[in-house]
Amino acid sequence: MLAPIVRPALLAVALAPILSPAGVEAEDVDFDREVAPILERHCLSCHSTENRKGDISLATADDLFDLDYVRPGLPTESELIALVVPEAEGEPPRMPLKGEPLSPDQVETLRRWIAEGAAWPEGTTLSADEEATWWSFRPIANVEPPDPEGIPEAWRTNPIDRFIFARLQESGLSPSPPADKRTLIRRATFDLTGLPPTPEEVEAFLRDDRPDAFARLVDRLLGSPHYGEHWGRHWLDVVRFGESNGFERNVLINNVWPFRDAVIRSLNEDKPFDRMVLEHLAGDVIAPDDPETAVGTAFLVCGPYDNVGNQDPVQAAQIRANTLDDMIRATGEAFLGLTIGCARCHDHKFDPILQRDYYAFSDALAGVRHGSRVIADEERRRRHEERRAPLVADRDRLNAEIASLREAIRSRAEANAAAIEAGWTRPPVDRTGTEEAFEPVEARFVRLVVEGLDTDPDRAVGARLEEFEAWTVGDAPRNVALASLGGKASGPSRVAEDFADAYSADLTIDGRFGSRWISGGTTLTVEFARPETIARVWLSSDRSGAAGQLGEATFVGEYRIEVSLDGDSWTQVASSHDRRPVNEAHRQKRLFDREATEEEIALLERLSAEVGRVNAELAAVEPLPEWWVGQFHQPAEPSHVFLGGDPQRKGEPVTASSLSALSGLDSAFALPADAPEGQRRLALARWITAEDNPLTPRVLANRLWHDHVGTGIVATPSDFGAMGGTPSHPELLDWLARQVLANGWRLKPMHRLIMNSQAYQQSSSYRAEAASIDGDSRLLWRFPPRRLTGEEIRDAILSIADVLDHRMGGPGFRLYRYLEDNVATYVPLDAPGPETYRRAVYHQNARAMRVDLLTDFDCPDPAAAAPNRASTTTPLQALTLLNHRFTLDMADALASRLRRQAGDDPADQVRLAFALAFSRAPDDAEHEGAVGLIERRGLDAFCRALLNANELISVD
Amino acid sequence: MSPPRDADSEHPLLARVLSRRGLLGDVFSGLAGIGLAGLLADDLHGASKESGAAEWVPGRGMTHFPAKAKRVLQIFCPGAASHVDLWEHKPELERRHGEPLPGEEGLVSFQGKNGNLMRSPWPFVRRGESGKAISTLLPHMARHVDDIAFIHSMTSKTNTHGPGCVFMNTGHATEGFPSAGAWLSYALGREADDLPAYVALPDIRGEPPNGKANWSNGFLPARHQAIVLADHQPIRNLERPEGITAEEEADTLDFLWLLNGRHAEAHPGDEELRARIAAYELAGKMQVSAPKVADLGSEPSSIHRLYGTDDPNPLKAAYARNCLLARRLLERGVRYVNLYCASRASGVDGLLNWDAHRTLKPDYERHAPIFDQPTAALLSDLKARGLLDETLVLWTTEFGRMPTHQQGTTGRDHNPDGFTCWMMGAGVRGGTSFGATDPFGRRAEVDPVTVWDFYATALHLLGFDHTRLTYDYNGLDRRLTDVFGNVLRAIVA
Repeated sequence: MLAPIVRPALLAVALAPILSPAGVEAEDVDFDREVAPILERHCLSCHSTENRKGDISLATADDLFDLDYVRPGLPTESELIALVVPEAEGEPPRMPLKGEPLSPDQVETLRRWIAEGAAWPEGTTLSADEEATWWSFRPIANVEPPDPEGIPEAWRTNPIDRFIFARLQESGLSPSPPADKRTLIRRATFDLTGLPPTPEEVEAFLRDDRPDAFARLVDRLLGSPHYGEHWGRHWLDVVRFGESNGFERNVLINNVWPFRDAVIRSLNEDKPFDRMVLEHLAGDVIAPDDPETAVGTAFLVCGPYDNVGNQDPVQAAQIRANTLDDMIRATGEAFLGLTIGCARCHDHKFDPILQRDYYAFSDALAGVRHGSRVIADEERRRRHEERRAPLVADRDRLNAEIASLREAIRSRAEANAAAIEAGWTRPPVDRTGTEEAFEPVEARFVRLVVEGLDTDPDRAVGARLEEFEAWTVGDAPRNVALASLGGKASGPSRVAEDFADAYSADLTIDGRFGSRWISGGTTLTVEFARPETIARVWLSSDRSGAAGQLGEATFVGEYRIEVSLDGDSWTQVASSHDRRPVNEAHRQKRLFDREATEEEIALLERLSAEVGRVNAELAAVEPLPEWWVGQFHQPAEPSHVFLGGDPQRKGEPVTASSLSALSGLDSAFALPADAPEGQRRLALARWITAEDNPLTPRVLANRLWHDHVGTGIVATPSDFGAMGGTPSHPELLDWLARQVLANGWRLKPMHRLIMNSQAYQQSSSYRAEAASIDGDSRLLWRFPPRRLTGEEIRDAILSIADVLDHRMGGPGFRLYRYLEDNVATYVPLDAPGPETYRRAVYHQNARAMRVDLLTDFDCPDPAAAAPNRASTTTPLQALTLLNHRFTLDMADALASRLRRQAGDDPADQVRLAFALAFSRAPDDAEHEGAVGLIERRGLDAFCRALLNANELISVD
Repeated sequence: MSPPRDADSEHPLLARVLSRRGLLGDVFSGLAGIGLAGLLADDLHGASKESGAAEWVPGRGMTHFPAKAKRVLQIFCPGAASHVDLWEHKPELERRHGEPLPGEEGLVSFQGKNGNLMRSPWPFVRRGESGKAISTLLPHMARHVDDIAFIHSMTSKTNTHGPGCVFMNTGHATEGFPSAGAWLSYALGREADDLPAYVALPDIRGEPPNGKANWSNGFLPARHQAIVLADHQPIRNLERPEGITAEEEADTLDFLWLLNGRHAEAHPGDEELRARIAAYELAGKMQVSAPKVADLGSEPSSIHRLYGTDDPNPLKAAYARNCLLARRLLERGVRYVNLYCASRASGVDGLLNWDAHRTLKPDYERHAPIFDQPTAALLSDLKARGLLDETLVLWTTEFGRMPTHQQGTTGRDHNPDGFTCWMMGAGVRGGTSFGATDPFGRRAEVDPVTVWDFYATALHLLGFDHTRLTYDYNGLDRRLTDVFGNVLRAIVA
């Protein structure tokens, strides 16, 4: 039975001879045998029922004819044909977007099929053919390791080697001989711990001639806590872990370090990776009260986010969408190796990811907000509250006592107010200009003593003054306070360390209005160039009146003006006390001060001191863990597709679900719109780690490979899509992915497997003929040499100098000075001290921060994930390693160590230094050069040279 | 084996560049014909996979087509410098002062509610042969209107300073993307052997909003980040440490050369090791060149007066010195100079930058004089020396300000919907005004322009098709202009 399409047989017959190749008898096209394979191979991977790219599916007859892409009998008028043939000579056709264009024969087949009436057997539904499915979405193949001919016996044992050898052979390459043992221990130690082997470790390994000496070495290194520190760093790169919020304010986040520690601990404990994924996405759901587990969700909120606050609702919605976007991308890239972020505005151009998929992930994460949360079980909270409760009660009682005493005094004062107020005769202070005139007096100094701000009578610090003028007597009075006349102003200021003059007292005597001293104390003192006779001072915070009552121009409310000749003894010449108060609060304050008795004041002071003591005790109660793990709220609104990525243009509603392209998996899920938000994240995590999800184990296996040999089997570890790299060893990748599952998602067995291969243990020696075939050693004809990362360089130098502080965990150290003045500024330290001698993984990495050495050597800005470390070479690296204080301090420390451990003979010092830095002995020329340098210029100079050596930062 | 001591005994590192004998000769023998800069030049990793890339190679001084501009001076006034108070005259705003903004009466923007329309406190006057109306706040800049192509219809996609600055500098509102200067460094490589390709000169008042992300290399190799160098801030780690004599340095480097030479010998085929040796040599050249460039003392006093380097206002004097330094850098072959006038947000809106939320008049009467004379002097000086023929000047800010006053203040809130940037110099049609905002200055109305259009045009003048200047990163051929951008032909000479 055919689909109800009228078959214009006559037309078909008429056209057939023209369309058919000459001399070939044209038979009717067989849909199943001829047409379906073309569509399934070239179209369905993007245009199927599951994956309706551009909202187009070619899976069923209805789909096709609804689109009106096919005019039965009229191939020249059918859009389907127009799409697959080039519009102009040499141009690619519009479709398929991915892969090869259809061959002329295939196009011909489609033409004939349409010409013959485009028959589509009823009920036939097409689906993308296995080959057309993008490789990373296919099920993980169960691959047998090959057994290539001519493989050396040693390469037959470990299946990895059989894959590698077969691929080498295919390219006409052969592997390299095993590396020597010194090279091996240096390679393995840096690889697993990020540190150099000690000379003792090298010697022990050289002496160990058991056949499994290397396997034992790997076991020892995997047992080292430094393993978690080093591999934790790899993972922190992938999840864009940073400890400041980025964007404009970029303030430090000081309570997200527990996540870094949790990652390190998890790796050291060999926690299964699927468990880590659950904790990262839904730790709070699976163990809400357990800090060790719940800390995982810091993953969601350790990316950059804009917290500047925006009153514009359109912009605020955009910012929220951007915040979610960071989480969506981090999730897609870290676990699935998918650039799902590319489907924010439209269906992914190259990968089978629909825009709807992006918003399904968005719905799964819609309840996540950035922020801290207390993580503690009931019992712990109760105990905590028990300790606080009596103290809180004390504090409240004291505060109530203070309030009632103040109220009693106030009401007494109000009764006598009229008499007191009669003495206040002068006008109140005025921000646009307040003058005090007094009897002429000789003075070298004049000072303003602030007793209260106009905005708050109880605070005297924080006044903002544009100018402070001091005028001489006579017909031509001069403002002798002016800096241009030799005046000097002093007074504590609010501090902006990156621009010391931002709020300085000098601004009060510069003759310019508009910029203000922001006082950090209560006194502004002006010294004249010489003693002067003055009779008037004038001050303002807003001469133009532009600021009105805004806090920008906070002025003095109560003050005294005092003069002095010597700067020691002061005479009051004016005050605000006989002015009318500037506002009601000031009036109350004055009345209170007049009325309160000495006893009452003493009592108030005693009570305040009590409050202070209770507050101190409260502060001493150990706080519950409050960490930067996000806050979770059930979203108030259902999620929608945002058309073009614009939150103002809502499309169809969406709910949390797995990716459409993988909807055939048993693990696929779709939740209702009202699903509890925690369940959404948990469902997503469960799907990501489901046994049948082909992406996650492949991506993990590839990351391990990438970090062991320098380049992944897929060179783009967070992009397994069409724009990512293609696998150099696809079968090996699938075999490794299966091993991940077979080992219960544990990483340590995987490390063993990889490192115990012959491929890993090869020499890194260069062979020109091999390099001409495979220049970057992707196929592993040798072990690819590499430069150390920035962290490894710093850690290695500290370790060689014997000053590395091995303390693990806790708040990080900083190689910058942190300045916060509304926004944060990071100023690299010129002379980092011993408190910074910890492993670089404990550095509190802020966004948009640059620090010496680490930044120079490509440590990435956590503004974005860094699945792939760069290794660049710049003159700044040379300048830093030669000239920064750190190098000099480390050269000095290394020199001390050499003297301490090798004695005073330069020959011994050189031998030890080479063993420490390069894990080898010097040759004659090196020895001679080194000893010569020590004799001429001292041990420090030799150490400084050594710390700059290429060999120190290279691993063969 | 040691290089000759007389080469430059004060600069032992440089001495090594001048002599490659003995071991060094061996190290480099396989590299005949490749200059030092070549060793550090870009590899082909990032080259576009598209066809046509075969001819053009990044980092070799090549362009897609003949360039009109060889280098860029970008002056950035962070804090959102107000278009309606500096560059774009709005007579209707003057006439309707005090009335509600038609159609947007209850407008809520970044900091909250807006009041009524507020005219600029400063009159505009017509200047130059083009008769361009420019604010009387900028009497010195008014000299240059006939050479400037104003773009009055700029738009941004964010109303927040940090993302706005980063957007203006990188074409992306989130961090992690390369700035325009990094792109040019990647595209062309360095011109001078002894100076970086890309230099950022932050203001003495601090870094702009979002700080160093504004001159980041993003995902491009680290060598494309700007070197920070300002009159008040020398290049970090440039100087030989105090206490190490030239003789000790020379001996230390001799030994280092010995170590690296032998190591390189043992590792044939490893280009990276050779590049690292070359990096030390370039560092040596920079040690000599950078302080010379930064030494403003060699300039005649007439030049100092022109720029205002000894102005009694220390902020103006500091900016003037950076302007003078900018010229010296451009002169010596720096490809991209990113010069800032003002800095970040502070405890007070509009104190350290152009962010006049509360008190526009006193704020801009502090900022404009700092900017005006030194900038105008720099442009005059470039012109007088003929440098303007090859230098593209960009003036940028992250967005504009509202034509209304912010409720309860005499300032203006952020306005991403319309603002002014301008270009001048090589290949730019001077004396033109492209696009316009509506009669009040609220929104770009005539020929709206995006940041991507702006850089598509700048790249065009530099000899690049912005759609082909790409770098493969995380699955995409990334561009400075994202997936947008059209060249503004109207302002191209």
